This record gives sequence, C-alpha cells and structure tokens, in this order.
Amino acid sequence: MRPPLVWLVAPAVLVAAPAHAERYLTLEQAQAVLFPAGTRFTAREVALSAAQVEAIEEDSGQRVREAQPAVWRAEGPSGPVGWFLVDNVIGKHEFITYAAAIDATGAVRGIEILEYRESYGGEIRRAEWRMQFLGKRHGDAFKLGGNIRNITGATLSCRNVMNGVKRLLSLHALALTK
Amino acid sequence: MQFRIVPAGAALVVAALLAPPALADEQLFGYVQGAEPTPKGHQEIYLWLTNRSDKTAGKYEAYDLKLEYERGITDNLAAAAYLKGMSIDTSGIRIDGYMPADNRYGMKLSGVEASMKYAFLRPALDDIGLASYLSFSYDWLDAHSGQDKDKYSVELKLLAQKYFLDGQVVLAGNLGLETTYAKRKPIANLPVNDDTGEPLEWPTDPEMEIGVLAAFGLSYRFAPNWYVGVEALYDTEFETEVGTERWSWQAGPTLHYAEKRWWATLTWFPQLKGGGEKFGPASFDGVAYPGQGDPDLHLIEKTRTEVRLKFGYNF
Repeated sequence: MRPPLVWLVAPAVLVAAPAHAERYLTLEQAQAVLFPAGTRFTAREVALSAAQVEAIEEDSGQRVREAQPAVWRAEGPSGPVGWFLVDNVIGKHEFITYAAAIDATGAVRGIEILEYRESYGGEIRRAEWRMQFLGKRHGDAFKLGGNIRNITGATLSCRNVMNGVKRLLSLHALALTK
Repeated sequence: MQFRIVPAGAALVVAALLAPPALADEQLFGYVQGAEPTPKGHQEIYLWLTNRSDKTAGKYEAYDLKLEYERGITDNLAAAAYLKGMSIDTSGIRIDGYMPADNRYGMKLSGVEASMKYAFLRPALDDIGLASYLSFSYDWLDAHSGQDKDKYSVELKLLAQKYFLDGQVVLAGNLGLETTYAKRKPIANLPVNDDTGEPLEWPTDPEMEIGVLAAFGLSYRFAPNWYVGVEALYDTEFETEVGTERWSWQAGPTLHYAEKRWWATLTWFPQLKGGGEKFGPASFDGVAYPGQGDPDLHLIEKTRTEVRLKFGYNF
C-alpha cells in the first residue's frame, strides 16, 4: 500500500512556515508614549547578583530569565520621574516583548506591547486590558480572572505578561531603588 | 514578515496572513489529550491520519483517517463531530475471532463520532487544567480485520494538563473508560481449521467490552513554534469470555509545530510491551499460517508500530 500524499506533503508544509514578528512600537515610541515628551532616558546597566535573582524570584514568585534586565532611568525637566523597563515573556509559541513604566513613587504608569511574535492573543495590546495595570505597586495582588481580566483565547499570554509586570515591580523594589 | 521556503504551504500561509487571530485547542500530542477546550465561538478542523502496521506475521497495514470539526460552545465547553475512515491491506494472517480472511481496500468511510469536552479548570487560568471528555461513536467496519462489524462505544475520559516554566513545558495526563457493544456481520465460507475440522471462529453474537486507558505526555518548546515531547499509553480491554482480552504499553516521541492558523503533530508510537490474548500458528484449508513473532506484545488487536499525523486548522 502506498502511503497517502499527506505524509509527503506534511514536511513541506512545515518548512513553509512564515516567521511572524509584528513590531508595534519601537523603543523610542514606547518611551514617548509612557512618559511625556521632553523626558530624557538614560540606560542603566543592571547586573543582578545571584542573591538578587533569588530575592526577586522569591518575592514575585516568578522565574528571572534575564540577569541583565533592560532598564532606563526616566528624567523630566525637574529630575527623575521613573523607570522604563523592557522585558520578554513567553507566549503560547514565542516571546512577547513589552515595556513597562514605573513612576517615581513605584506605581505602574502603563505598559506597551513592543513586539508580538506570538501566534494567538494579540488582544493583549488593547488599551482596556493594559490599563488594568495602572497604579499597581510592589506587593499588590495580581489574579488573572480576578483583578486582571483574562482574554479568552489568550490566557497564557495574559498570565505571563501579568506575571512579568509583577516580577518587574519586584525588580524595581529590590534592585533599582535599593 | 519573512518567509523561509514558500512553495507547498502557500495557500496556508496566505490564509494565515488574512485570518484574524484565534486560539486553538492545539494538540501537542498524538495520543494524549490536553485539557484546554476550544474557546467560545471558535471553530477548528482537525485531520488525524494513523498508520498501524506489522503484526510480526503475514502482512498487515492499515490507515485510519479522522476528520473532526470542533466548536467552542462556552469558554469551558466544546463539542465536536467526526467522520472516520479506514483502509487496510492484510494477508497471510488467520486468527480465530479476529482475522478471518485476507482483506485489501482503499480508504472507506468507517464510522461517525460525537464528543464533548468540559473544562472544570483551565491550565493557563488556574494552576492546573482539568477537563472531562465524553464521546459516542458508531463504527461499521472492524478496525482490526476490516470486516463488517457494528460497534457502538461510549468513552469517558478525565484530562489533566499543567504548564511549567511559563508554558515552555507542558505535562498532560488522561484516564479513560470505554464501553463497547459490538456485533459482527456473518461471513460466508469461513476457512476450516485443519486440526479441528471446525470453521474459523467468527462469532456473530453481540459482545460487550470494557476498555481502560491511562496516558501521559511531556512536551518541551525547544524553539519558537516547535515542541518536542514524549508520550505513553497504557491500554487494556476486558471481555466476558476471556477476561483480560489485551493490554499494551505504547510510547514514543512527538514533534509539534504551530503557526497562526494551523498546527501539525507527528507521533511515532511503537508498542513496547503487551499481553493478553495471543495468536499461534494454525493451518486453515490446507494453508499454514504463522503465529505472532514476538511473544511480548499484543498483536491481535494492536500492531507493533503506529504513526500518527494530526493537522489542525483554526477559523
């Protein structure tokens, strides 16, 4: 019996895959959106020690994948106004790159999705979903399906971005402001 | 957007680019079922193709085809309907009650099925996913011999799924119970066993069977869009006449690839160990037929090797 055509076609279909990489905002655009015009951004070299990684993981309950997080100090005309951080979290298939802004008091100013390579769940870009993080502080409770609304069809993306923000707040509290 | 090689998948790629995003009940495994249901309002079509081959005696090769349409009724409940088909090419095997004749035909419609999946807990939303799966099926071709046989089955499964490392590692487990009512259609001119002088057994009285299965799978995303995994299945069946009719362990590697609108999963699933009923050499109508070549496998209803390719498309 000859094998059906599908056995032969499948490998060809697999290698025919397009590489999705939808870039929604550049770094500079995200900085401009999250902090008012006129703010100056200074890259801050941060190399987390093993003790800091452990402390952040324990505090946030989330794994730290990157010991050298991408961090910028945001400064306005009258001095520091907060922090701008870029982070990657796992989507269902690929990494999601997003930026978070934390103001000088330690509250989230906003988040923006920079690059979305994920196959599903692009709805997390919607403003009403991202707005839920405004004002969140270190130590606040995060509950997907509770105070953070889940998006059907994008649950894993929602969960991982939510946990990412929680981890960044721990990073801010334990490594940037100490 | 970058394309590596375009030719064969052009139509799929175009569809992927044009279609809006949705979530699939994406199946990382060939045999183990995940606990995530298709979300409300989303629809999917799946194509399953399974190759079953090698009974270590004579010639045996069969293909099972399953076309599935699934729709999310609510975020926790999905329903599906299936059309099933099979082809077979077997010769040189005679087993009382199971393999009465050589048989060879191409793909034929062989059965229908309907199922529901209800998630009590969803793996990405809750700490662990837990779902029940209920299916009803009617088959009119015997999957083993390819002969006419009416079979009605009800299957109930408990499905569990857990994400680790933010979803980079997925663990899934199933427990299932299947009850079956089956009735073979009569076959004229059955071959006569040269030792007993009796025709080959092909009982046409109704029979009831109960099957139990346990399965688990572990999948790891080793590159964007790509998962590699391993899965295993313990499958046993009980029948009034013989008690434990069969049991078997199958295990093998799984490769999964997913894109925006479609995914594919390929599983190689050999039988590692099996028992229960076995078949020995026999002579019918003056022709000698060998017994099974490997005593450590169950080869009457199962084969030594299975390969399954699943393809899913979301719309």
